[in-house]
Amino acid sequence: FKDDLSTSPQLFTPMSPYDVDLPIPPTEDVLFGSQFHQPKELPTDFSSVDLSFLPDITQDNKEQNLSEDGHEMQKEADGSISRNEPSGVFMDESSLSYPDATKPSPEASGVCPPLTPMTPMTPVTPASESSGIVPQLQNIVSTVNLACKLDLKNIALHARNAEYNPKRFAAVIMRIREPRTTALIFSSGKMVCTGAKSEEQSRLAARKYARVVQKLGFPAKFLDFKIQNMVGSCDVRFPIRLEGLVLTHQQFSSYEPELFPGLIYRMVKPRIVLLIFVSGKVVLTGAKERSEIYEAFENIYPILKGFKKA
Amino acid sequence: MAARGRCPGCGSAALVEDAHYAQQQLVCAACGCVLAEGLLTTTYAEEEHLREVAYSQSTGQKEQLSRSLQRGIRRVQDLCKVLQLPTVFEETAVSYFQRALQHPSFHLVSLEKKELLGGCCVFVTCRQHNWPLTMGTICSLLYAKQELFASVYLSLQKELELSVPALSLADLVKTHLNSFRLFQPAADIPAPFVEDKEKMVARTMQIVELASETWLVTGRHPVPIVTAAAFLSWQSLQPAARLTCTLARFCKLAGVDLPPPAHLRLKELLDILLRMASQLAWLRVFNMDKKTVVKHIGDLLQHRIFLLKNAFCVEAGEEQCAAAPGEGSPGSPPTAGGVAQEEGCPSEGKRQHEGGPRPLLPPCLINPRKRLRTAAPSASDSAITGDEPISDSEIEQYLRGPEEIQAFRKAKAWP
Repeated sequence: FKDDLSTSPQLFTPMSPYDVDLPIPPTEDVLFGSQFHQPKELPTDFSSVDLSFLPDITQDNKEQNLSEDGHEMQKEADGSISRNEPSGVFMDESSLSYPDATKPSPEASGVCPPLTPMTPMTPVTPASESSGIVPQLQNIVSTVNLACKLDLKNIALHARNAEYNPKRFAAVIMRIREPRTTALIFSSGKMVCTGAKSEEQSRLAARKYARVVQKLGFPAKFLDFKIQNMVGSCDVRFPIRLEGLVLTHQQFSSYEPELFPGLIYRMVKPRIVLLIFVSGKVVLTGAKERSEIYEAFENIYPILKGFKKA
Repeated sequence: MAARGRCPGCGSAALVEDAHYAQQQLVCAACGCVLAEGLLTTTYAEEEHLREVAYSQSTGQKEQLSRSLQRGIRRVQDLCKVLQLPTVFEETAVSYFQRALQHPSFHLVSLEKKELLGGCCVFVTCRQHNWPLTMGTICSLLYAKQELFASVYLSLQKELELSVPALSLADLVKTHLNSFRLFQPAADIPAPFVEDKEKMVARTMQIVELASETWLVTGRHPVPIVTAAAFLSWQSLQPAARLTCTLARFCKLAGVDLPPPAHLRLKELLDILLRMASQLAWLRVFNMDKKTVVKHIGDLLQHRIFLLKNAFCVEAGEEQCAAAPGEGSPGSPPTAGGVAQEEGCPSEGKRQHEGGPRPLLPPCLINPRKRLRTAAPSASDSAITGDEPISDSEIEQYLRGPEEIQAFRKAKAWP
């Protein structure tokens, strides 16, 4: 199963015309082709998929994409090292635009089925609770302990990608190109790694920094790697009346147009801070796990949508 | 009481001032009766000058508070007096201040921050009572930097878990216009520029409401909007004489500051008004521009509900925004903000109908700045496990060679 996934492409990226082309392996071409030409039978057996965390699971056509999301999300919940990172934005209408389109049965290829294409057909008002929008991770901050005292001047002298201004800041600022990240390395041996777009990238980057420090002659280890903060963003695609939102959710929101154009919403469960802007863009931060960001967005989306329709 | 000269006991006039131990006494020499004792006198002269003793002075209350707290409380009280706030506000602000200073995160901050903290408490009190006080005003009173004030305010709100209601624009209009100097004739103000306050306040309120319905207010600083609206309403009340006056001159005459965003807000307001004017039957024949539309602001405001419905598509489907009015929803409810499904209309579609209705959206969506669309993570990115082997060559590219190090050392780049 794992091998299949490692060769399968990024299944969650939306098929919008301006996104990167996905390399689709041959098996899925068949599935795709079939989707266009003949709708397959609705798979009624979802027993292999754990959808327990979703609100109401029915065998409705419209719920297909829910289960598709659920399938992906559950896989992520399974292991922290997930191969199917959702990225980009799902188009609400398009994903529900295939009332007859079926999701190829999960057991067909042993791999998650591809997305329905983006061309909107008849717009269907979503009856599902899910927003169909997946926040994209923008930044991950992690820390790791190299467990040895470091000579920062030495590091700055011997490394090309290091900056050190002791008068300004008491740490070496090091950068690597792949994954594109920045690290703050302190003389105590502790290190902060920022700028990665996923947990795995952050871990890989932190390991590379540790390797650089090792090659400089220090007995660096890699202890207590921990993700400290995750930042995600997405777009709900409609303007939001922030003044109204601050009235109805006063205990969670802080909206001070004199200070900042966005509304600061402090969600209690999960403990996430959301920055909501009039344009409909939402920034979510303060998460230690990816699922917290998704959960927070799923919590806020009905609130924001309630504003749009009222 | 007996006259001073006579002893009440025996009536003798022989009174002597004597000292009994340390206390002065007035004693009758004949019978020894004590008429008056030292400092415990209640003579007429002293009763005349009795003064009310404040509670805080008679009890040990003041001594219990630390000097910085006393100073801070006095500052808060002074601020309330300068702003002419009701006494209730003063008590609330002082209690917030005391609570805040006891909180561990504020206990040891710098004196500058403690003073700002006092200002923040006054600000929060005013907002909770819907007294329209802007941060700009408080900052100017405290001679504070706005960023510092902002950070202190936000941490105060978080630590004390205060819920601060939003600034009410209607009240802000009234207070802001109070400071305008155009309501009384004065030496430097030409006669046709003087305006009746009630009329101007009413019309400015209407323009501000219009701005709020058309998404010009959300997320923006409120004061420039009020300034621009006041200018438009003032101009429209006597357009003949006032059209030639610029916004800058208006602000100078009125004695208020001209905030930099006011020009942009003015432009946006005029744009909205022009679109509305294009829907008004008897104005369609004229070629309206920014100057001429001001003359008709009265009419436009009177029919604004109808005009907003027609000038902008409130509800749009996947098709282009048709000229048909939106759903029967009136223009006023705050949540009737237009929704143009962007997936339906491609981004060029927004500019397609120059004369036709435009979607009712915030300006940041109408004129989107070029977005850097970060490429979605490619397939190789997503396959990262975090545990891949790291090649030596990749790491070595980040290390300096010995010649480089020597060159650096020679250049004495390193101490």
